[in-house]
Amino acid sequence: MSTERHPQTTPTYKITCRMIHEAAALERLCQVVRIRGFRIAKMAVETSVQNAEESLYIALTVQGVRPVAMLQSQLEKLHTVAEVILNTTALAPAVGRTA
Amino acid sequence: MNGAQHILEAFHHHNVQTVFGYPGGCIMPLYDALVDDVLVEHVLCRHEQGCALAADGYARASARLGVCIATSGPGATNLITGVANAHRDSVPMLVITGQVPSSLIGTDAFQETDVLGMTLGIVKHSYLVERAEELPGILEEAMELAQTGRPGPVWIDIPKDVLLADIAAVPSQPVTRSQTAAPDLGSAIALLRAAQKPLLYSGGGISLAHAEDSFREFAECSALPAVVTLKGIGNPGKHSAHNLGMLGMHGSRAANRAVDECDLLLVIGARLDDRATGKLNGFAPNARTIHIDTDAAEFNKLRTAELAIRGDLNAIFGVLTQAFRETPLAISDWRKECQTWRTTGGFQAADNEEPLAPITGPAFIRRLSHIAPDNTIIACDVGQHQMWVAQYYQFDHPRHHLTSGGLGTMGFGLPAAIGAQFANRATTVINVAGDGSFMMNAQELATIRRYNLPLKLIIMDNQCLGMVRQQQELFYNNRESQINLDDNPDFVAMARAFDIPALKIERTDQVRRGIETILAYNGPMLLHVAIAREENVWPIVKPGGSNREMIDEARRASADTKEIVA
Ligand SMILES: Cc1ncc(C[n+]2csc(CCOP(=O)(O)OP(=O)(O)O)c2C)c(N)n1
Repeated sequence: MSTERHPQTTPTYKITCRMIHEAAALERLCQVVRIRGFRIAKMAVETSVQNAEESLYIALTVQGVRPVAMLQSQLEKLHTVAEVILNTTALAPAVGRTA
Repeated sequence: MNGAQHILEAFHHHNVQTVFGYPGGCIMPLYDALVDDVLVEHVLCRHEQGCALAADGYARASARLGVCIATSGPGATNLITGVANAHRDSVPMLVITGQVPSSLIGTDAFQETDVLGMTLGIVKHSYLVERAEELPGILEEAMELAQTGRPGPVWIDIPKDVLLADIAAVPSQPVTRSQTAAPDLGSAIALLRAAQKPLLYSGGGISLAHAEDSFREFAECSALPAVVTLKGIGNPGKHSAHNLGMLGMHGSRAANRAVDECDLLLVIGARLDDRATGKLNGFAPNARTIHIDTDAAEFNKLRTAELAIRGDLNAIFGVLTQAFRETPLAISDWRKECQTWRTTGGFQAADNEEPLAPITGPAFIRRLSHIAPDNTIIACDVGQHQMWVAQYYQFDHPRHHLTSGGLGTMGFGLPAAIGAQFANRATTVINVAGDGSFMMNAQELATIRRYNLPLKLIIMDNQCLGMVRQQQELFYNNRESQINLDDNPDFVAMARAFDIPALKIERTDQVRRGIETILAYNGPMLLHVAIAREENVWPIVKPGGSNREMIDEARRASADTKEIVA
């Protein structure tokens, strides 16, 4: 699955995700995004501590031609992911390569 | 109590009695603690891949947690194939590896590998224990996680200093698993009642959900024509009148035909794998789909479902059984049609009764199925022999058929059989291997001998990598490439070198005696079965092709069998 060849026309989605901050948390997230056919175009991460548990808040912009709901359900399946919110349906196609 | 002792405590608490492992530097504190433990039996395999696959076979055969243990670095990397195998088939497994001491992580220390990073894609979840006091909680969580929801392997990587650290005893909480009520099934029942040609399609999820009995009750009561996936074999039981057999690439014509013609597909505990569906847009073209599973991520992944229902399968079957018991489905014409296909479109390789005729794969497996006792567990390897087992052995329970479905791991069968035998000491366990697959974990013959397991080993020796040879013949213009194994070792002598008696057969008139001899022998025994090199598995759908276009022997030479999609 290549998102690389047609970056201009590849649908783009924004996802926010909250997960427990533990070893390899971000790698786990990124691995799922990649293997399920998406490419990360933009990523912002913040940490916050609540009730002695450290959480990661991740804002992702991803590109891919597969249905994004599939990515959402795979992310939700991760044990340490508390919440996945798909912010919009497909955004305007990405311009050029941003990742 | 140190970290290592905590691990054993967790095993006791969760009634883990058997673990499969291999020691080494960073895991030595755990092996030291094992010296004083009388409750946990540690099985020393001869390769970590053997440990992981044995733990997998143990879990599949027993419906319990499989546990494997290894050291850091090469110990952990050797586990990977076995863990990936468990992951692809959703087998509940706990993997414990030692890691270099915390202070050395990231320094390229001796036998350091980034286990966590390396295994992300093949585990349900994984942990690197960063603080000793977290270990007891992680152990509890990991064991629960591996066995609940959609099961899978959970890996805990533990630095050596954590294994040695003093950790306060934590009172363990009894695990309570709540029974969940069935979701609303009104629409599903309505769709089933409205359908004229409904078909039940079940997979490995039935046994993963411990729903074998309730499934069978539902299948019998609804009398829906049924097909099974490779991992669903045994779900309907060998006496089911409605079972059309396995569908897919090497499925029965009856099963593939029924899928092609049905107008409603009731998919339960299956993930619509490409080996089962063939080309997706030619799959069940006239059918609406109801998909029932424990894992919501399977819904609409490969095929859109009109109705997707997530929930506890036992509860769901309870409701469905009740509904169809009260008012049966009126589908007698469709049932009759399926019965006709069942009679004419089952697996039909002819037996050659000529005493001196060479042994054929299907005839041998059919005979094995007749002779082996009920409840025999068959652990297969991967290749043509695996498909002949799937086609011709009559399984009465899905846990009697251990097969590497998702990953297709050659070398699975022998260690998986070892695990199954540890889980069921009094049951007949048989490994059916190809000559290629057998050599992938042959070192585990030493494990069989050491524990004196009464395993029966069958090598179906066609002197080649048969499944690859078949595809080269059919789809690559018969251009054989690197499949020749005519320099195999003498398997009988090899078994004997491990002090395992063995015998070889090569003619039809030797089959019965050969099978009876190994089954009657009080201990492990190997049967080397010579079969023809050129034999193929029929029927076959070309990879990427539609299940409607099954190729059988008569069409083997036709030009349009060339592979289009790899
Ligand atoms: C570890 C591994 N390597 C390679 C393959 C690809 N492969 C699938 S079937 C097969 C041939 C198996 O040969 P054998 O065990 O002799 O069984 P046969 O097909 O002859 O019955 C191969 C190489 C695999 N499935 N697993």
